[in-house]
Amino acid sequence: MSDIIFELKDVQYSYLGKFPALCGVDMTIRSGEKIAVIGANGTGKSTLLQLLDGLIFPQNGHMTAFGERLLEHSHADEKAAHRFRRRVGLVFQNADIQLFCPSVREDIAFGPLQLGVAEKEVNRRIIEVAQVLDIQHLLDRVPHQLSIGEKRRVAIASVLAIDPDVYLFDEPTAGLDPLTVRHIIDFIVKANQRGKTIITATHDLHIIGEIADTVYVFGRNKRIVRGGSSESVLNDRLLLETNNLVHIHRHHHDGMEHVHQHLPLEPHD
Amino acid sequence: MRNKLHKRRDFIERSTLSALAFLKDATFAEEYANCKGFLQSLDPRFKTITFLLFLITAVSLKSAVLIGSLYGVCLTLALLSSIPVAHFLTRTLLFIPLFSLTIVLPTLFSVVTPGEPVWSFHCLGIHGVITRPGLDGALLFVVRIATSVSLIVLLSITTRHSELLKVLRVFGIPQIFVLTVSMCYRYLFLFATMVENIFTAVKSRVGILSHRQHGQQVVAWNIANTWNRTTQMSEEVYMAMLSRGYTGEPRLLSEFQATPKDWVWLVCAVILCAGLFYKGYTL
Ligand SMILES: Nc1ncnc2c1ncn2[C@@H]1O[C@H](COP(=O)(O)OP(=O)(O)OP(=O)(O)O)[C@@H](O)[C@H]1O
Ligand SMILES: [Mg+2]
Repeated sequence: MSDIIFELKDVQYSYLGKFPALCGVDMTIRSGEKIAVIGANGTGKSTLLQLLDGLIFPQNGHMTAFGERLLEHSHADEKAAHRFRRRVGLVFQNADIQLFCPSVREDIAFGPLQLGVAEKEVNRRIIEVAQVLDIQHLLDRVPHQLSIGEKRRVAIASVLAIDPDVYLFDEPTAGLDPLTVRHIIDFIVKANQRGKTIITATHDLHIIGEIADTVYVFGRNKRIVRGGSSESVLNDRLLLETNNLVHIHRHHHDGMEHVHQHLPLEPHD
Repeated sequence: MRNKLHKRRDFIERSTLSALAFLKDATFAEEYANCKGFLQSLDPRFKTITFLLFLITAVSLKSAVLIGSLYGVCLTLALLSSIPVAHFLTRTLLFIPLFSLTIVLPTLFSVVTPGEPVWSFHCLGIHGVITRPGLDGALLFVVRIATSVSLIVLLSITTRHSELLKVLRVFGIPQIFVLTVSMCYRYLFLFATMVENIFTAVKSRVGILSHRQHGQQVVAWNIANTWNRTTQMSEEVYMAMLSRGYTGEPRLLSEFQATPKDWVWLVCAVILCAGLFYKGYTL
């Protein structure tokens, strides 16, 4: 199968050799898929995305990317590294980390420039990307003085400027207002329609229906406890409950308080 | 006893917080760099070169009047660049020359600078004489400092710090150095915010730290913790750079564009400085 992008077999990773983060993950990701990775805090979602982005490497198990085995030294060659970076882009969970240039404009330009895109083309991309994400007015601002939502848009812009085939999003909607969430979801859906492969880590069940066809649920044992269509996963109440993914609402009715759980597909009363 | 300790802790906390506030202020001062005005419209390279020229002139001239006229030019430029003069004056005149006064004060007196006495007085049994050359020298020194400081402040508040850094690069400083400096600057800000947050967080949990040993522990723990966080952060930033294709040699945008206006300004500045130098020699 040539359209397989990532293939993971029993992949394990632990930080500093003693903090396990992934304990045997199997996954196959094909070109053009829309995938969500959900799980409670600390179940290894970010670690998985960093692995897929070739920033860390499996300590055990087998992983291939674009048909080649991904190993620590496979990025030692600049050409190979650039080829990979042109194809895969990661929007980090923490936008503060991702934006390190003195101005928004330079942050957006950083990726393409590193990858050898000519300056004229880079300047064209800056304008285009800024328009897509509605950040034209922020181009000359200092990234660390922006609001969280603005930073997130800039972070996405800085990856969009590279125009990779595979987008990895780490909690793209956490802490954002509904309108900004809407924009980001629309962006993701449109990118997928253009043929991009999308992998999103999140614990926001409400957006999954739109941003994913396939959902992988990570459990507290740091493995995939379930993978399937987003519909089947969202309807599996027990699965979501045992994995800490259900919103718990507390209501007041006629002076009485009652607590109930709230699933994304149920109408909210 | 307890009161004294309390004061000391307060002092440390206050000075830390005010240092942080200053740092942040320095960053926020970019509000003037984003205004529309004469200096903001110039190419940063030309601006930096002409200001260096002014600076050299101010330092070399030996006449307070001539330096004063350069100061006048500086204030006019500030006016043309929509900078509130009151703000500009407090930032320059009040703050920095205070230092120079303490250096200059001794040179006023006959003991240090002999010459024609201008004013003599008796104070606490000491006979002091202020001399004419001492006074002239001091005046020259103060005017020179005030002018130099004003020039530097004017340049730095009308130019975004990212642009100043880029000018460094134009002058042949390696990119990796410039990128490092700009990151230091940026992380200093993040670091400042982090320490501020830790202070607030500790305060909200512990209330007022009245026990000295406890206070010391918190400070020590914070230093260790902040260090850990910073190293962790630098690893993550490195990952973020890798993720976007960094392989050891950063490539950055170079997009300065000189307009005829910049050249006119450069010529004007050179003529002005040459004129001042000529006056200074013929005086
Ligand atoms: N730098 C690190 N050093 C040590 N342990 C780490 C480090 N980063 C993550 N871990 C551990 O690895 C595990 C997985 O972390 P990861 O960040 O991948 O989780 P996550 O699913 O992204 O969580 P969240 O939803 O909170 O972002 C956690 O148990 C965490 O404690
Ligand atoms: Mg995470």
